[in-house]
Amino acid sequence: MSRWSYFARRVLLMIPIVFFGTTITFVILRMGPIDPAAAVIGASGDTEAYTSVRRSLGLDQPLWLQYVDYLRDLFTLQFGYSWVVNRGRPVWELIGVYAPRTIWLGFWSVMLPLFVGLPLGFYAGLNPNTLSDYVASFGGIVWRAMPNFWLAVIFVAVLTQSEQLFGFQWESWLVETNIVTPPELQRLWVPENFFGAFKAILPAALVLGSASMGNEMRIGRTAVLETKNENYVETARAKGVPGRKIVYKHVFRNALIPLVPIITGEAFLLLGGSVLVETVFSINGLGYLFYAATINADLPLVGSLMFFFILLSVGINIVQDLLYTLIDPRVGYGGEGA
Amino acid sequence: MSVVDDEDATLRERLADEPVPALRVLAVVAVLVAVEFGALANLVMSLPWDAVGAALPGFLQGAAATIAGVGDGLAGLPTLLSRSVIDNAGYQLPSGEWVGTFMGLSPAAAWLLRVALIYAYGFVWLLVGWWSYLVYRDNYRHADWAPVDDMVGRFRNHSWGLFGLAIIFAFVVLAVFAPALGPTTVDANIADPYLHSIEYYSEETGGVEEIYVGDANGESQSRGQGGENVGPMQYDQYDRFHPFGTLPSGKDLFTFMAAGARVSLFIGVASLVLAGGAAVVFALATAYYKGLVDLGIVIASDSIQALPQLLVIMLASFVLSGTWLANLYNGGVVLALLFGLTGWPGLWRAVRGPALQVSEREWIDAAKSFGQRPSVTMRKHMLPYVVGYLLIYASLTLGGVIIGVAGLSFLGLGINAPTPEWGRAVSAGQPYVATPSWHISLLPGILIVIVVTGFNALGDGIRDAIDPQSDVETGQQDQTAAAGGGA
Repeated sequence: MSRWSYFARRVLLMIPIVFFGTTITFVILRMGPIDPAAAVIGASGDTEAYTSVRRSLGLDQPLWLQYVDYLRDLFTLQFGYSWVVNRGRPVWELIGVYAPRTIWLGFWSVMLPLFVGLPLGFYAGLNPNTLSDYVASFGGIVWRAMPNFWLAVIFVAVLTQSEQLFGFQWESWLVETNIVTPPELQRLWVPENFFGAFKAILPAALVLGSASMGNEMRIGRTAVLETKNENYVETARAKGVPGRKIVYKHVFRNALIPLVPIITGEAFLLLGGSVLVETVFSINGLGYLFYAATINADLPLVGSLMFFFILLSVGINIVQDLLYTLIDPRVGYGGEGA
Repeated sequence: MSVVDDEDATLRERLADEPVPALRVLAVVAVLVAVEFGALANLVMSLPWDAVGAALPGFLQGAAATIAGVGDGLAGLPTLLSRSVIDNAGYQLPSGEWVGTFMGLSPAAAWLLRVALIYAYGFVWLLVGWWSYLVYRDNYRHADWAPVDDMVGRFRNHSWGLFGLAIIFAFVVLAVFAPALGPTTVDANIADPYLHSIEYYSEETGGVEEIYVGDANGESQSRGQGGENVGPMQYDQYDRFHPFGTLPSGKDLFTFMAAGARVSLFIGVASLVLAGGAAVVFALATAYYKGLVDLGIVIASDSIQALPQLLVIMLASFVLSGTWLANLYNGGVVLALLFGLTGWPGLWRAVRGPALQVSEREWIDAAKSFGQRPSVTMRKHMLPYVVGYLLIYASLTLGGVIIGVAGLSFLGLGINAPTPEWGRAVSAGQPYVATPSWHISLLPGILIVIVVTGFNALGDGIRDAIDPQSDVETGQQDQTAAAGGGA
């Protein structure tokens, strides 16, 4: 089977996954012990309001019809309205407001580990069993065992009191930023704004990317250790290819292949982890919106957001398969080639 | 006895043939149980027997009441390592003399002594476990050699794995002996402080006074800058010793942490039994039958994995919050169920590869053509190969579950409010991190880091022991497992 038909098959397999994922959400929301209409009304318990909410949510229909409507609305991307958190606002509008912050946070928490963790891992792999290797490896192991929410709490406390603790003020350092507010994302092409937004997100992105950083370091290290001893590297060395060129052309490129699923897998983890980090840093992103919608019983909003997350994660999976198809020519040939 | 006998004998016959080593092990175990018998009976009696008793038919209720009486009596038996034998609660007279503590030691010394004894006791159990494995291997096992011997041998020389095992051992002892390890009890200090009282020496009246624990807690708060603070290894003004300091509410942090360890361990183990069981059954089934079964489970597991784990658990625990299920073990049972239901796809992906590999072996073919039932083939010829891989990922996942539970309780979800959970301590100490009361947030966090590192190290050790060739992690299960859904 060719690479592209393998890819097409993978994409085709995503359809039932979106379908079943949405069904699970439906089961939790509509068949669980909580009546969405009663939850929206709250404790006030006005019967008239209750029936009208019931009708507009379609809860007076039989369950199978509700299910069909639910699927139809979501698959045609009609996400409906928020009922409690931001009453009457379309969910798409809320996503438009909240998503950029999460994307900004997610982007940097994927990029930072890549540009810090990987080089450290490659360095450790090129200098195995030296003191710096041990320091980097052990640091990576501990760094990835840290719970994000705890690390975030520590970061917030240390940065807000950096004046007393280190005699240097983080908030006014280079650009004026706040620590526990959402970053300003207007006019990012102006260098000043860009740097301000970057600095505002930096602590949160470091926290959210902490586990990935440790992992990428470890995996980068083992990948370099492995490829370093491959035959083609030895051949290149025997041919007299300079050491630096061997490292860049032969070791790094091949060491990158096992890292693709790791990086995309992490991008997905960030969705769930962003709830805690966004709450601690008060970044009003999607994770925070989901949390607020959940504890305020805004179940229609929760359902639409969950569908949005499913689409995102399936999208990330497709990107991963695409990258694999592009990078590794062995993919798709079943057992023989790989 | 002849060799042929040996081959055919069941374990029971082999035991009957040569009872001495087994009896020796049994004697040691009996002694170990005897010194802690009261605590064991206490644990059994603390289960919700009332519910069971009420469900029994009338004529059995009388008998049940008698048994309950005997049980309560047994629960009252003195145990070696209990609070009442080595007591650390007491008060200091102006002369410097301690009253009420074990042999007049200072509370700190008495508490340390008890902790040391409990850990020594736990360590003896560990040694006995190892010894009984040796006895079984040398005296009662069919085979002189089995692949597992090599794995155990490799693990024994794996210092990183042993380091992990030591940490996990310390964590499990902390969780199992939580009521005896804390300087005070959850009941007296955290749950019902106004139903319990303590004695202290008052300088004002010049005599011994009594005070409600709740009132005493009000005077032992840790509230950072300018406020009061009782830090780690300090006494409060009522001569109570706090190994980890106090919470902002004045309650003892160590007691809180020990009880929280119990909750975390319960949720972790229960959810893993569920997820691991499902993962193994599915992995064996998909590897044996392949085809449509495999595709169906791939889609099911991918669908579950497409939902962000932490968010689903958050949502489901909110939806279930009003039901009877949410009150079982203060919400622990629901969390265990949810972590199990959302966690099996990760474990299944991890063991699917090895299961597929073993299903290609010729002995599976032989068993099939021989007409062996599929379930027997799976259990006898595939399971032993898969279990080791499951252990690796189970160890990594346990750390992730602990982080996930702590993250949820940090947000105020999951475990119901007054029940101790590590994340709640981090949340309580959040405003005081950069103040003298730093211990409230920092110590629980550091403990989580240590425990999770321990589970990761144990997982690495098992991997190297099972499969010394594969020191590269090519899959992504590793890291997703250890990250607890990104908490």
